[in-house]
Amino acid sequence: MTQEKIRQAYTEYVLENGKQPESVYAFCKKLKIKEEAFYEEYSAFPQIESEIWKAIFIEARAATEREEVYQNYSVREKLLAFLYTWIETLKKNRSYILKSYEGFQKPIYTKRNVQLVDFKASFYDYVNELLMEARETREVEQRPIPQLMQRYPDLFWAKTLFILDFWINDTSKAFEKTDTMIEKTVNTAFDLLGRSPLDSLFDLGKFIFQNRK
Amino acid sequence: MNSQESIPTSKVARATQFAKAGVKVGGNYIKHYSKKIFDPSLTKEQLHQENAADVYDTLSNLKGSALKVAQMMSMDKNLLPRAYTDKFAMSQYSAPPLSAPLVIKTFKKYFDKSPSEIFDKFDLKAENAASIGQVHKAEKNGKKLAVKIQYPGIADSISSDLKMARPLAVQLLNLNDAEIDRYFKEVEEKLLEESNYDLELHRSVEITNACSHIPDLFFPKYYPEYSSKRILTMDWIEGMHLKEFLDTNPSQEVRNRIGQALWDFYDYQMHTLRQVHADPHPGNFLMTPDGRLGVIDFGCVKVIPEDYYNNYFALINPDTLEDEAEIQRIFWTLEFIVEEDSPQKRVFFSDLFKKMIELLGRPFNSNTFDFGQEGYVDEIYNFFEYVSKLPELKDSKAARGSQHGLYVNRTYFGLYTILNDLKAEIKTTKPDWLTPKHLKGELV
Repeated sequence: MTQEKIRQAYTEYVLENGKQPESVYAFCKKLKIKEEAFYEEYSAFPQIESEIWKAIFIEARAATEREEVYQNYSVREKLLAFLYTWIETLKKNRSYILKSYEGFQKPIYTKRNVQLVDFKASFYDYVNELLMEARETREVEQRPIPQLMQRYPDLFWAKTLFILDFWINDTSKAFEKTDTMIEKTVNTAFDLLGRSPLDSLFDLGKFIFQNRK
Repeated sequence: MNSQESIPTSKVARATQFAKAGVKVGGNYIKHYSKKIFDPSLTKEQLHQENAADVYDTLSNLKGSALKVAQMMSMDKNLLPRAYTDKFAMSQYSAPPLSAPLVIKTFKKYFDKSPSEIFDKFDLKAENAASIGQVHKAEKNGKKLAVKIQYPGIADSISSDLKMARPLAVQLLNLNDAEIDRYFKEVEEKLLEESNYDLELHRSVEITNACSHIPDLFFPKYYPEYSSKRILTMDWIEGMHLKEFLDTNPSQEVRNRIGQALWDFYDYQMHTLRQVHADPHPGNFLMTPDGRLGVIDFGCVKVIPEDYYNNYFALINPDTLEDEAEIQRIFWTLEFIVEEDSPQKRVFFSDLFKKMIELLGRPFNSNTFDFGQEGYVDEIYNFFEYVSKLPELKDSKAARGSQHGLYVNRTYFGLYTILNDLKAEIKTTKPDWLTPKHLKGELV
């Protein structure tokens, strides 16, 4: 019995019955496996959900990076491309996603949801890579407040969840509004993190302070 | 060109853009008058220039309908001070493009393939901006193609955009409320049509086929297999825009040939097809050094109703001007004169519109017409500027002239303006029933 099979059976069950199985016991009986076999792979249902969210992320990321143009993109464009692909991947599983979303604590971008922990960890790895690259390309300004810089991944995570929330409630044709939302959020983020007049002002202030008589 | 990464689509975001323009224009006035205290020689022209720059910057950030409004304002030169129009004319050539991932995403949505899979070569950086989309260069089987991509969500934002452009337009265009409502309604309809690329494809194919016999005129070929609701693919055609073309100092003969092609193109559409490429702004025409004219962008096509056509063009024939009863009948049908007008007003407006018709119809009153002649186009501008300031018109509650007139007049202004810039001398071919008697005599 592989992880993959349990995951598939679980998704099917949720899609067909509109809710989680009553218990691990009932689920295993239906699947004709021993309960121990289940516990070897997962400790509870939310963990399966977490795996699914992560799998979607990995699929989207791989698809994004497969595009040949991807390597020539700026970091801003890379993140844009990822988010578009991610939403496309979610779209393929929309029914399941909507069901899973029902079980979330809301608003999802401030509350912690166990179903998203694995996705979150992978997302942070990805964003940290992107941010490192962005610092090299100067798309993200090195600021002298480490406490602030450390929070950047949190910012992107919150934005991503915000987009998810928007997409779930989006009623526009072909989710066109979500596309616009993605362009805006990512651009705002990078405009905030990039070099701004405030950075110049700070720099000037520092210089004047250091050279005061 | 810096990529613009987003179109501000939410109403609030767009509203702030307009507010910005308002604030800046206000600021310019303050600047202007404070400067003027110290330097009385400053002219209004400089102020207009600064205003135009700010208004243009704001509008070009908005894209879509707002860009269209800018284009329309620059077309109706007569409605605006020169400085505004020169600046607005820029909007016909360039506005900042969308991000590359969104371009790819749009392709995937409609073809399930990325542009690099469909074409041998595809330039992710947009070549230039059309009013509601942007144009990319591509190549397939050694053929250069132009791929127009529509901004997502643009169709939804048309109405809310126009609503916000309204106060600005009231101020700039100096129109009365009734007229501006009519103006905006017609513009909105056309914009919605324009955002439908299926329709544009259909019309492009239809008109280009029908006009293929006109000498010195060429069109791109359209590719339905690479087109969809939001994407339109056609041949990339070579040629220069009007300004560049004039900079090369073309000979009179070449200019005449191009002008003639343009005239024949419109003559045929107007009188035979009864549907017309109603967007004759310089950005839609490409000119070659050997005197040929390429026509692109059939987004804005006006179908002319039979009834309107008969009445409007009856007026253009100078013979009609002698038949007072007939003229009065037409003025009523076309709503130049309305129920509420007092008898004095009726006389006043009749005279005014007769003058307008004489002016616009002048090229029809001879066999050849030199559009380069000093003063003709200026005379039209001055006349309309005078008209737009008339208190009788401004205070009038009614909108005058049928709404079809908006596009027909606009088309002729645009046509005359380009011909004037070309300084072309044209054989003004026209259908037989429009030819005045004295010209028929000449031919015999």
